Amino acid sequence: MRRFAFTVIAALAVLALAVAGCGSSGKAKQGGTVTILDTEGGVDSLDPGYWYYQTDYKELGPTQRQLYGWKPTETKPTLDLATALPKASDGGKTLTVKIQPGIKYSAPLQTRTVKAADIKYAIERCFLPQVGNGYASLYYSDIVGADAVKSGKTTELSGITTPDDTTLVIKTTKPAGVLTSGGALGMPCTVPVPKDYAQKYDKGKTSTYGEHEVFTGPYMVVNDGKGKITGYEAGKRLSLVRNPSWDKKTDFRPAYFDRIEVKGGFDATVAARKTLTGKAMIGGDYAAPPVAVLKSALSSRKDQVSIEPSGGNRYISLDTKVKPLDNVNVRRAISAAIDRTALRQTRGGPTLGTPATHFIAPGTGGFEAAGAEKGPGFDFTANPKSDLAVAAKYLKKAGYASGKYNGPPLLTVADDASPAKETAEAFQSEVEQIGIKLKLREVPHATMLAKFCQVPKAAVAICPNLGWGADFFAPQSMIAPLFHGKNIVPSGNVNSAQVNDPNLNAQIDKAIALTDPAAADKAWGELDKQVTDQSYFIAWLWDNNIGLESSDVNGVPSKFNSGEWDLAFSSLKK
Amino acid sequence: MGRYIIRRLLWVVVLLFMVSLVTFIVFYAFPTADPAQLRAGRQPNPQLVEQIRHNLGLDKPWYVQYFRYMKALVLHFDLGRSYHYNVPVKKQIFDSVGPTASLAIGAAVIWLVSGIAIGTISAIRRGKLVDRLSMGGALVAISAPVYWLGLVGLYLFADDIGRFKIFPGAGSYTPLADDPWAWFTSLILPWLVLAASFAAFYARLLRGNLIETMSEDYIRTARAKGLSERRVILRHGVRSAITPVVTAAGLDIGILLGGAILTETVFNIPGVGRLAYDSIQNSDLPMIQGTVLLGAFFIIFANLVVDVLYAFLDPRVRYA
Repeated sequence: MRRFAFTVIAALAVLALAVAGCGSSGKAKQGGTVTILDTEGGVDSLDPGYWYYQTDYKELGPTQRQLYGWKPTETKPTLDLATALPKASDGGKTLTVKIQPGIKYSAPLQTRTVKAADIKYAIERCFLPQVGNGYASLYYSDIVGADAVKSGKTTELSGITTPDDTTLVIKTTKPAGVLTSGGALGMPCTVPVPKDYAQKYDKGKTSTYGEHEVFTGPYMVVNDGKGKITGYEAGKRLSLVRNPSWDKKTDFRPAYFDRIEVKGGFDATVAARKTLTGKAMIGGDYAAPPVAVLKSALSSRKDQVSIEPSGGNRYISLDTKVKPLDNVNVRRAISAAIDRTALRQTRGGPTLGTPATHFIAPGTGGFEAAGAEKGPGFDFTANPKSDLAVAAKYLKKAGYASGKYNGPPLLTVADDASPAKETAEAFQSEVEQIGIKLKLREVPHATMLAKFCQVPKAAVAICPNLGWGADFFAPQSMIAPLFHGKNIVPSGNVNSAQVNDPNLNAQIDKAIALTDPAAADKAWGELDKQVTDQSYFIAWLWDNNIGLESSDVNGVPSKFNSGEWDLAFSSLKK
Repeated sequence: MGRYIIRRLLWVVVLLFMVSLVTFIVFYAFPTADPAQLRAGRQPNPQLVEQIRHNLGLDKPWYVQYFRYMKALVLHFDLGRSYHYNVPVKKQIFDSVGPTASLAIGAAVIWLVSGIAIGTISAIRRGKLVDRLSMGGALVAISAPVYWLGLVGLYLFADDIGRFKIFPGAGSYTPLADDPWAWFTSLILPWLVLAASFAAFYARLLRGNLIETMSEDYIRTARAKGLSERRVILRHGVRSAITPVVTAAGLDIGILLGGAILTETVFNIPGVGRLAYDSIQNSDLPMIQGTVLLGAFFIIFANLVVDVLYAFLDPRVRYA
């Protein structure tokens, strides 16, 4: 009987997922225009080689196709240009990917089909300084010849070959789980870029390909048909229309809207209110609306609010090279002293996420292995509220007999804008309870990262306003960049705790090479427990993404894109 | 007069050169983000950051970078490319001038007309109810921050989120060439909000000056000659008292043409102020440099216009 009940529940769950995966097509209306209201700069660049943030994926993702795509409710890659998952051989060091024939570009290359060589060039150009991609070296460094490309000796990746127009062969120096699973091939570096057309734009100081881009997805940025984009004004507007070269039969995305209009520069409160009270609108480039609007929306327009785990976290970084944070027990004491629920309150309360007990966020591989929501069971992370007794215990262990820190103030650099500013100030008052005084400097976010928190020389003890999200649900992207010693660099240093433990480094290298997803998840989960025990970074929130939509919009959030709306699956209501 | 204007125009060039130099030095002297790092995204390898730094010329000493920048500007009128958006700065700025000029000039017309009218009436009716009401209202208008006033205006009168749906709301700005009527209606609320505090300030300024002027001997003489009170006030009183208002108006309009950041932000008008604000947030030096130069140009030029206007308003002023 129990087995029968389980079967029925499982079948219903599968059915529900299937319906959701189709973008609730029963309610979807074909056609219409949707308007997105952005608050800040909107997309970073039209160039797919540069996309790396949620807004890029959300607003430009529907204009292109990649080797692999992502259905909104799924955590595994879906076939897009590729006809199958990578076929591994040579002990996982050679991957063969076949691509669909006959996929066409938008004008002026409307008669040209996508070739495997276009994807090879797309990956190669991601290493070009003119393009400035942020993840190529992280995921594609194991491809044979990547070192020569990274150092600028050559621009061609010798490890990628194209025996014919529909076959891509990738050779790696060692097995790489993120490539074998297809995850890292589901990133925008695999958006095809025709070399003969784009190369001239990739020369000079910075690439201007974005101003002349050709499209393969269901939509394209409005252009003059001769290779000049006319539908984009940075930070102000972006206009997408249907791409006449796109063939619906070859794509997994329904693409209901006829037109997508993005308007930038709104005040966040105004944008959120307009979206909620207006027609055919979707919230833009803000992870959560202002607290007052959110509260009001949750009480009176709940069906217009989407609350989705983002797959990311918020954490406080403690630089292990700065005294007294070189002492693990001081770090543990800080972890015990902070009130995670109070910090969450500064961002808007329980709707904004779950207090974190370890680093890897829900929905990402390794979350369960690290102890899931309950966590690894350390006393300094067990209580979401302040636990001053536990904090005092660790401070005594660290040599502070009174159970309180009595040393000099610690340099702390925080964001100067809400809500991060309030989070930093709440953190300051929490650690004062255990005697830690902060020399708090509040600066613009970009300055905080590029001049302080990501520059080891700046010797910033504490950075309370950092966050991290997984790429394509891979735990590797949560752990390896932040905790591997080789990632300590003079600027742009995401390993801001300056963790460089040879044993940990070796374990991370070993986990990267695992191609069996279950074994990899277990290994990354174990690593999460270790870094949580060491309290290099104190994860305090597993973020939720809050999406807003007008009452006539049937928005579909995308798990891959941190819970942001998926415009290729969303629609107007019938 | 012609030589004076030419001399002042040459000074405009010198001042703009100095402004550009100071902006450059400030950008390097004070903590800000590393453009190469920003351009390289979230997890770049150090080699990539260095390559980008080299490509953008950021590895050169600041004075070399400055020289290259000025060379491109002087020889090709090239303001460079935005580090953040990777688009030409010149186009971004030129696209933003129209909305800012629409906002600033329209608001200036409103605040000058209303400020001069209220100031004159208050001075003439000094101590009367109309004077007290006007000056009380002016105090409120001066005290209300533009940002707050803008949001209140939207929540009350915007046709999307307002209680009384009268004016188009935020983000409705339409270029004049596209649709003149939509342009006009979309700017009514921003004009009123931006003009409110200026009108109040100008009214108070003119009132004070006019009261003082009206006690001058030449006013008594004018009255003694039998001129009508209207003529005395407008031709002799206001004309003399308005000189400081012209000075202030010239500077204010010049500053606003360089960007009305708060009003543009609240009403989402894609102007220079909004662009400047975003550029500062993004540590986007070429864009900051471009917007600062534009702002400086307008302020310096407005000063020149004011000085020339003096000669027409005040017969005592003549330039050699």
